[in-house]
Amino acid sequence: MVKIKKTGLNEFIELLMKDYDVYSPADVGKKTAFKKINSAFEIRHDITNTHLSPKDVFFPQSEVLFQYSDDGLKVPQRNEKPIAVWGMRNCDTSSLMMLNKVFGDAHQMPGKDMYKDPYWKMKYDNCLIFNQACNEPLSTCFCNWFDGNPFAEKGADVFVVDTGDHFILEGVSDKGNAFLAKYKSGEEATKADLDKIAELKKTAESYLPDVIDIKPLFAKMNKIWDEPIWEEISTKCINCGACTFVCSTCHCFDVTDEGKGKKGKRIRLWDSCMFQIFTREASGHNPRGLSTQRVRQRIMHKYNYFMDNYEQHLCTGCGRCVQVCPVNLDIREVIKQVLDYKLSKNEDN
Amino acid sequence: MCNCENTYIPIPMKVEKILIENPDRSLRTYDLSFVNEEDRKKFTYMPGQFCEFSILGKGESPFGIASSPTEEGIIKFTVSRTGSVTNEIHYLQEGDIVGIRGPMGNWYPLEKLKGQDVVIVGGGFAFTTLRSMIVFMLENRDDYGKITVIYGARHPDLFIFKEELKEWDKRDDIILHLTVDKPVKGWNKLCGFVPAITKDVKPDPTSWCIVCGPPIMIKFTLPVLLEIGFAHEKIYTSLERRMKCGIGKCGRCGIGSKYICIDGPVFSYEELKKIPDAF
Repeated sequence: MVKIKKTGLNEFIELLMKDYDVYSPADVGKKTAFKKINSAFEIRHDITNTHLSPKDVFFPQSEVLFQYSDDGLKVPQRNEKPIAVWGMRNCDTSSLMMLNKVFGDAHQMPGKDMYKDPYWKMKYDNCLIFNQACNEPLSTCFCNWFDGNPFAEKGADVFVVDTGDHFILEGVSDKGNAFLAKYKSGEEATKADLDKIAELKKTAESYLPDVIDIKPLFAKMNKIWDEPIWEEISTKCINCGACTFVCSTCHCFDVTDEGKGKKGKRIRLWDSCMFQIFTREASGHNPRGLSTQRVRQRIMHKYNYFMDNYEQHLCTGCGRCVQVCPVNLDIREVIKQVLDYKLSKNEDN
Repeated sequence: MCNCENTYIPIPMKVEKILIENPDRSLRTYDLSFVNEEDRKKFTYMPGQFCEFSILGKGESPFGIASSPTEEGIIKFTVSRTGSVTNEIHYLQEGDIVGIRGPMGNWYPLEKLKGQDVVIVGGGFAFTTLRSMIVFMLENRDDYGKITVIYGARHPDLFIFKEELKEWDKRDDIILHLTVDKPVKGWNKLCGFVPAITKDVKPDPTSWCIVCGPPIMIKFTLPVLLEIGFAHEKIYTSLERRMKCGIGKCGRCGIGSKYICIDGPVFSYEELKKIPDAF
């Protein structure tokens, strides 16, 4: 373990910037998001979850797939350094691991040869993740429902704890250890530091909501597809799509062209299953034309369909959708509602 | 860039031939050839698969491949002028260069159909992949048993591949039942919606059945087939959604936990009945 005085963090970040493009929580307008930084002074250490999720670093809101002109197609190359992300939280690290199942190498659907996404891979494959413990989880946090923990190291290359005046860094992966070995100015963490970490962890856990057993959720969802519960859940949803944009795991996108004449670019952009036009076909036929159908799609995708395909829920309990929803449609309440729901028909049918 | 295949890059194709299928010019069939020989060699497909047809500056739309793998060097699509991309496709001239991405998705169960009687039920301009399938079976005629085709359109003008339909009608190794929605002067074949005609034709329920058409036609034809006594696992259909990526990522074509672009577009009724929102 390496101990770095907070006032000396810039030296560490500068060392990191030699090998990596460094992203961290930072101010973006009036909100916070993961942004490429040029000095440690831009890092916002004082917030738990950024308003926008770090998926944007690896799967940007808009991304050029290729440019076209009379000279043919040109695919953007990434010649920059690999990406390092400072200040990731356990929920966000988990979400990237989920997205890596969809876009990257992590997991392919069983029995299926899945395409890998080169644009994701060129950013994610060599990245270095600094996963920072959450000393003060927010009231919207519920990572503990999904096997998460504010002090979990899973998926990180380096695990970081803020102990007040210092950061304690622990290498988790080989990549993480290799980088930490380059840093010579750190002190060694002491027994007192470890005690402090244990104490912080205990406090952090006390902030979290009571764990509910979500194991029956998947099976329950298999039975409620055509039940009236979806109308109850979706009544107040205004289909604004904010939840899907701040969500760290939502990954629906659109592909569109921008340009004039023979010159332009093909771009992919985040899209949302909450929008009516998402599935509307040119003929006018729309398989998810109703708000109820769309809300059901989002919830079912998170807690049933993704589980079916990738053996886990597509949710990490980061709580961003809870924070941002303009009509207070709280996904934690939806989960409870589904679990408590009494089927209107006989279960044997 | 990683060295994995970049499936977002379209394959350049040349418009060889354009056939205007109907008097109001809303349906056109495009024969495309490969600009690069190596692309032609790499592009192997089966009846039922689809491609994203790409017009730079306008975008992409998914279409079933209407040609059969037995028609070498040519990839055929029939396009109805409906939205912005299809509008642009209709402006194409012979000789123009366009792009396609694919082949995508799965295909009709041609292996399982070997030695079996096959019933094909189609409607409107969704007949494209069914044409692919019929041409493929006729080229390999000895591999299959009796072939029965039920094909309906709103109006006689709205059938596609009219010349081929005439030729097939003359053959004795394929039985064709063509129907239009309402009586039309000069039309001496069947009249009535596809589900009703299917009921009248009453195909042998021991055969295999492939259904492809507008969602409403599929929805009402399936119960007829079940009533006649077709086995659930012997009925196949092809579904359509507004597919964008075509590789199971962009989220548009999800039906339950399946994606039409990679798990389909061809599904058996046995599979479909387990998926809640297929239609």
